[in-house]
Amino acid sequence: MGTVLAGRGKGNAMTQALWSLFWITVFPGFLFTFSLGLLATWVVRKVSALVQWRVGPPVLQPFYDVAKLLGKEILVPEDAQRIVFIAAPLVGMAGTLLLSTILWRVAVAQSAFVGDVIVVIYLMVLPSLALILGSSASANPYAAIGASREMKLVMGYELPLVLALVVVIVKTGGQLNLAAIAQQTPVYSISGMLAFLVSLLCIQAKLGFVPFDMAESETEIASGVLMEYSGALLAVWKVMHALMLVALPLFLITVFLGGFGTTGCPLAWSIGKYVLVLVLVILIKNTNPRVRIDQAMKFFWVYCGIALVLAVVLAAIGSYYDINWL
Amino acid sequence: MNTTLLIPIFLPLVAGFVLLFCPNRIRALPKVLTLCISIVAFAVAILIFTQGSLTYAWSVLQIDNLRLDLLLHAKPLGAFILLFAMGFGLLITLYSLKSMAGAKRLNEYYGAILLTIGGSAGILLSNHLLFLLIFWEIVTASLYLLITTGGKNSNFAATKSFAMIGASDAAFLLGISMVWTLSGTFVMSDINLATTSAIPIAAFLLLMTAAITKAGAMPLHTWLPTSGEYASASVMALLPAAIDKLLGIYLLVLVVKGLFSLQSGALSVLLALIGAGTIVVAVMIAMVQHNLKKLLSYHAISQVGYMILGIATMTPVGVAGGVFHMLNHAIYKCCLFLCGGAVEQQAGTAELDKLGGLGKKMSITFTACLIAALSISGIPPLNGFVSKWMVYQGIINMGSSQTSAAAKLWPVWLVAAMFGSALTLASFVKLIHSVFLSRLPSRLKNVKEASWLQTTPMIVLAALCVFFGVFYYIPLKLFIYPALGLDASTTLLGTWNSTLATGLIAVGVLLGLLILAIGQLSKKVRLVPTWTCGEVQPNDQMIIPGTHFYKTVSSMNGLRQLYNWQERGFFDPYNQSGRVGLAVTGLLRWLHSGLLPMYLTWVTFGLVVLLFVLCRIW
Repeated sequence: MGTVLAGRGKGNAMTQALWSLFWITVFPGFLFTFSLGLLATWVVRKVSALVQWRVGPPVLQPFYDVAKLLGKEILVPEDAQRIVFIAAPLVGMAGTLLLSTILWRVAVAQSAFVGDVIVVIYLMVLPSLALILGSSASANPYAAIGASREMKLVMGYELPLVLALVVVIVKTGGQLNLAAIAQQTPVYSISGMLAFLVSLLCIQAKLGFVPFDMAESETEIASGVLMEYSGALLAVWKVMHALMLVALPLFLITVFLGGFGTTGCPLAWSIGKYVLVLVLVILIKNTNPRVRIDQAMKFFWVYCGIALVLAVVLAAIGSYYDINWL
Repeated sequence: MNTTLLIPIFLPLVAGFVLLFCPNRIRALPKVLTLCISIVAFAVAILIFTQGSLTYAWSVLQIDNLRLDLLLHAKPLGAFILLFAMGFGLLITLYSLKSMAGAKRLNEYYGAILLTIGGSAGILLSNHLLFLLIFWEIVTASLYLLITTGGKNSNFAATKSFAMIGASDAAFLLGISMVWTLSGTFVMSDINLATTSAIPIAAFLLLMTAAITKAGAMPLHTWLPTSGEYASASVMALLPAAIDKLLGIYLLVLVVKGLFSLQSGALSVLLALIGAGTIVVAVMIAMVQHNLKKLLSYHAISQVGYMILGIATMTPVGVAGGVFHMLNHAIYKCCLFLCGGAVEQQAGTAELDKLGGLGKKMSITFTACLIAALSISGIPPLNGFVSKWMVYQGIINMGSSQTSAAAKLWPVWLVAAMFGSALTLASFVKLIHSVFLSRLPSRLKNVKEASWLQTTPMIVLAALCVFFGVFYYIPLKLFIYPALGLDASTTLLGTWNSTLATGLIAVGVLLGLLILAIGQLSKKVRLVPTWTCGEVQPNDQMIIPGTHFYKTVSSMNGLRQLYNWQERGFFDPYNQSGRVGLAVTGLLRWLHSGLLPMYLTWVTFGLVVLLFVLCRIW
């Protein structure tokens, strides 16, 4: 922002815009994150299969799935608000793409790109919001129930997520810049660890994985929010989910685990961090039953809330007396 | 000396006063006159804004050292708010031409609108506290008049508003007299009191009460939802949503940064507490409302919290964020009320569970309402996000740069503000779902889009929401920084390249369209009936109203009790003071029983007391 206000040269702004275009479409944006996300989807399915003593799908299965969906016809409900119904997945995907590009640019270039940590927290709401508006526009009663659950889930995990953000800001000494936050490792402290673990659960809910999949719950409301989506529109939702599967763990790594180093030995270490977060998410997914929405809200507001208020107090004490491990 | 400053004040005031007494049969005159004068006022406001520091002085009277001068001074803060206040006046007049066409008391309605316009211009230009108070009262009185034009039960709402704002105006008067005693002058630019002893603190609290009651912050907010329920939407859009916020926050900035220099830690905590509490509590109540306009009114309260919190941080970015939020709020809340009014007028009801699926029938209203709703929920890259983001930066900056008690509590303020934003989103998801998306009830099959006179103001306001969000540095540099005397290059601490982000989101949408296009190559789109797993139901039974969305929240242990008490008016100062008043009159009634022996007893008792006092027997 500061550089834009300072009125840098026109040619420079043009180059910047062209570079941004490359970043968002090719690397580290769409093509790269999309491929990586589908690979992560395969990891989720493979590990789940192993946990359940099955063989699991081949590596390319998620790609086949998306390709197959592209070949199916798009069904639009007669009663739907069609523009919102069709625009919702597009906007959701675009928002997630921007989110992942911001986080990747921090990892690759070690400087803030487009937004700071507050912007990222707000962009993380976009996929859920798009899902809610799209399903609400489909005029399907099951989808409406799914939308209400999704919204309540957002309300639920937003409180602990904001508290976790406070812990991070206290730990990093009032930093908002993602690149500066990424250079510190709040997880090496009691409060940071608590915040990381609760944020992991929030990510679980954002991804819509069991135990927080009540918005989609196939068995009772027939995929709820996604019920009326089919063909290429459903494919866009799947792409969005794949992007989220990269972006959200990357957010945790950037904020809590000391950032995603991209050169030499740190790269292997970073990939290790990503796999760790992903495997934790998958294990939680596979070892828990789905909870009801009121249970989930109570869990996030009361239990996670109390844990994180404690974490904030610990972090504040720690920063006041310079005790780093608190 | 510049007489231009007199035009936006006295032209509308005189015309409005004349209109009040104009016979109701001439129905064209009020419309034409109000439209012309609001256009003139807006044009003059632009002139005043561009010309910079104009002044005007006229000595009215002088008794001893009490001078009553009509001092007008177009300061940057006042001039920019004036510009927007006059703009809102014009847009609402335009909207009213159609929406109030069938109203009975047209002359009073338009007269009061002109009085509001003139009064608020007076407040924003006045440099003399007594004149400020006089114009302030004119706006209060015209609010009363405007609410009464609403229809059934609007008298009750008008009385409640007038009682509460009137009581706060009494506090204002008392505060002004204390300020005068302390500083010996009414000229605002000459006053700067330090809040170090009891009397300046009391004066500060009194003036703050006036400001936050006008703006509608808790706990003195209850006039707002009541009028929201009964007043017409254009009135809500003009006063509580837009001009009352502008004026209330203008006064608060004036009090905090001009008349006083805040040196008491407790006062900062109080301000921040009012801000944070207002955000969360009001939005929790808003979430469970069933009436469209009442829901919007509670959000008009909740959003004030961000403005107060921003100002309470006393950091450049926080104050700038608070004032910018005031402007943004006025824009999107005005738009939301206008959309709500159009829906109520076209569908015949504002009850959320009787609406639905109107997005297909009223697409312009829907688009404007969606943009404004996303703005108020702080979705990037719209304007509501920018000002909230600035307020958050202010809070974080306060925590790291100040040592007061309020600064130490910064996590509390930050969590309240950010969590409140998520709840706001939830509340507006419910609104959008139950009014515009979901299913169309059979009753509403023939609903049509509102007239262009009504949709034009909505489009203008929604476009402003987008513009002020995507190019937020323009309003900041043009209006906010000069108004507060801030340095543009050092104020913002965070990073948000809104223009680039919007471009990148557009690129993302194009990529999505590309995927859709690939999908389209082989197969066509097909329209199908709603799939309900084979269970065929009549249309009206398939509607899931948004009013059911948050039953989970309102039936949670602990919250359920609070909601119940709130519903019964336990937290309403108007009801509570009403109860105290009834108790006092009950006591007096009991004393005045009409029985001679009773009176004689009291007389004897009084004489005995007198005797004791006079003879000093003790």
